[in-house]
Amino acid sequence: MMTLRTEDPLLHSARREALVVLGVWLAACVYTIGYCYAFGYGRDPETLSFVLGFPDWVFWGIVTPWSLSTAVSIWFAMMFMSDEDLGAEPEEDEAGNIIETEAAHG
Amino acid sequence: MDETTANSAGLGTFVALLIFIAASVWLGTLAQRVVEKGSFLKGYFLGNRGLGAWALALTATVQSGGTFMGFPSMVYSSGWIVALWIASYMVVPITGFGVLGKRISQLSRRTGAITVPDLVRERFGSPAAGLMASLLILLFMSFMMVAQFKAGALVMKISWPGSGALALAEDGDGLDKYYYLGLGIFSLTVVGYTLIGGFLAAVWTDLFQSVMMFIGVMILLPLTVIAAGGLPAASQRLAREVAVRPLSAELREENKAHVEAVEQPLHHLDAALRRYADEHDGRLPQSLADRSRDDGRVEAVSLRLGEPQFLAEAPHAEAMPDAETLRYFGADSTIDGLTSQQRTLVALTEKDSRGWQSALYSNGKIVTGKMSRPGALATGPGPFEFLPLGIAVSFFFQWVFAGLSSPAGLVRIMASKSTPTIRRSIVLLAVYNMCIYLPLIVICICGRTLIPDLQEQQSDEIIPRLALLSTSPLPGGSLIAGLILAAPFGAVMATVSTYLVVIASGLVRDVYLRFINPHAGEAKIRWLSHLMMVIVGAAALGANLNPPRYLQTMVILSGTCAATSFFAPAMMIAYWRRATAPGAMAAMIGGVFSSLSLYAAGWVKYHEIKAFSPLGLDPIIWGLAISSLLGVVTSLCTEPPDEARLSRLFDAPAPQAAAAEV
Repeated sequence: MMTLRTEDPLLHSARREALVVLGVWLAACVYTIGYCYAFGYGRDPETLSFVLGFPDWVFWGIVTPWSLSTAVSIWFAMMFMSDEDLGAEPEEDEAGNIIETEAAHG
Repeated sequence: MDETTANSAGLGTFVALLIFIAASVWLGTLAQRVVEKGSFLKGYFLGNRGLGAWALALTATVQSGGTFMGFPSMVYSSGWIVALWIASYMVVPITGFGVLGKRISQLSRRTGAITVPDLVRERFGSPAAGLMASLLILLFMSFMMVAQFKAGALVMKISWPGSGALALAEDGDGLDKYYYLGLGIFSLTVVGYTLIGGFLAAVWTDLFQSVMMFIGVMILLPLTVIAAGGLPAASQRLAREVAVRPLSAELREENKAHVEAVEQPLHHLDAALRRYADEHDGRLPQSLADRSRDDGRVEAVSLRLGEPQFLAEAPHAEAMPDAETLRYFGADSTIDGLTSQQRTLVALTEKDSRGWQSALYSNGKIVTGKMSRPGALATGPGPFEFLPLGIAVSFFFQWVFAGLSSPAGLVRIMASKSTPTIRRSIVLLAVYNMCIYLPLIVICICGRTLIPDLQEQQSDEIIPRLALLSTSPLPGGSLIAGLILAAPFGAVMATVSTYLVVIASGLVRDVYLRFINPHAGEAKIRWLSHLMMVIVGAAALGANLNPPRYLQTMVILSGTCAATSFFAPAMMIAYWRRATAPGAMAAMIGGVFSSLSLYAAGWVKYHEIKAFSPLGLDPIIWGLAISSLLGVVTSLCTEPPDEARLSRLFDAPAPQAAAAEV
């Protein structure tokens, strides 16, 4: 990198978190659609079994990953995602007029 | 037709709705007090960046009247496959806040941005890119908002005592005096409280309705599951069902002779089955083929003519349907009374030359029309090819990317208080989504057992009807039903007021203050903001006096365009130093253009408003891909952005802090 100053720590952690999230999304997508397609599509209804009243493919293909995703989301928010200072606003105008009026020229 | 369901809401419903409206107005005035504390613009349009976890979690994602009307209706008509359609909501809590949340809140503070176009302009230093964002947002949001007004008016109409509603159809002539009355009250309320409290009023009413919706679902879940005899029973019943699109009255009339020729034998079969059931404790025979029990008694009903068996004694034995053309589903079922609402499928004829089939149900009802294959409601891709694989994949993109980059959602994120707020929001929303969507699916699956006869255009009312039906035996049931009914109304109000704020802020902040009068004083800005909301509200009201025919399609189109045109720019804003203003503009245009052209191609190809989907994938995926590609390529081909601006937005704020970090 040609910059002299270090990259903002928030940017660094936010990027890392975004990648993890997109990974979770991809995993959820592949598993859920894959499972449902394999076991739910074109299925002979006579062969359906039911788990807690859900057709088997709905239970294993959707209810289960949904519960898992919820657990992962909670882990992500509580353990993985870091807290950061969001910073202050520039040139706060006491009078309450538009903030930083002239920056648009920059 | 279905005289056993309550056909009009009681007084309690109306009272509940009034309470809801009053609460919203009250929240609006509360919000006003908070707004008055800071600068007008930032307070009115961004709530002084003070959103807490609850407000952020339960309001920032794509929730609208659709959650309580469109989605349940879909589960009702298409069955379990809709669970896959909505499944990506399992990750919406982390994608919605985890991908862009922290960075967008930081950037909006560093740039002082109040609106999404503000952010675009400041990040790229380009008024042109900002203007383009404003215009696109104004365009998309307007369509989406106009459609919500109609939904609001319709809910209002349902709860009007004595309107005889709950028989209204989405199309048809639902446009009577109750509709206009509903529209008037709805518009006044929503414009009124939004005008008073601005952004915070929109957020708080949104939060309020989300909580009400949660309570509604939690009440409705046990009531419907118990009434349906448990989920396993409802589920098993559904697995034998067929989804039906009955012939329209006109088609039936035109083909009267044909339809009667098919249905008449089913009537005879029904009569024979009833006689059989009378002698067997109401049970239906195991099959229609010959089968004798060990003790010599005939256990089955024979369809073969001339056989000296059960049916041979039936008065119309010679007119019985031919076993070859009939599938029998009655094994292990019981016959139901002729007036019973509940029913199971008993027999289904083969498709005729027109593709029509007739079904006989255990309550003697006979329906003719297009039918799905049996069991389609419990397997993929659902009845009538509801969700082919490509579309299933598309919806995993749709909800996630439309949610994380929707302008209305981004504004909420900009208004969040701090990163702990964002983290808590993820937890709240993860739990909330799981407790709303899965139970809603269960409720509507049970709903199909409880109220099996709703046709396509009526099925929007499944939740209101279930609420009325299942709460009627309870003390204060009418009021409980009212609260459940009020939830979609609240959802619609919240959506409208969110859009109102975004549109008004766009007109005032991004157009007027930027291009017409940059030095307007606060009093003028305030006055103008109010005026804009009234004008926008009046315009939406006007459009709904005679709702445009293709409104729903325009809404879908707008939603697709919004998702495809803002995801790539938002990612470029947040994470990519090399992104340039022309790149962002190319990405926005690319998203709109690709979505529009796929719909145009669909128009040419199918002669109806329907997207052309290359490789079976929806326009949203193509739009996202093309938009991202254009954004990247154009950025790389244009001059690198100003390093000083980048440094301000991408580097650690102070050198000494940065040194300590390494």
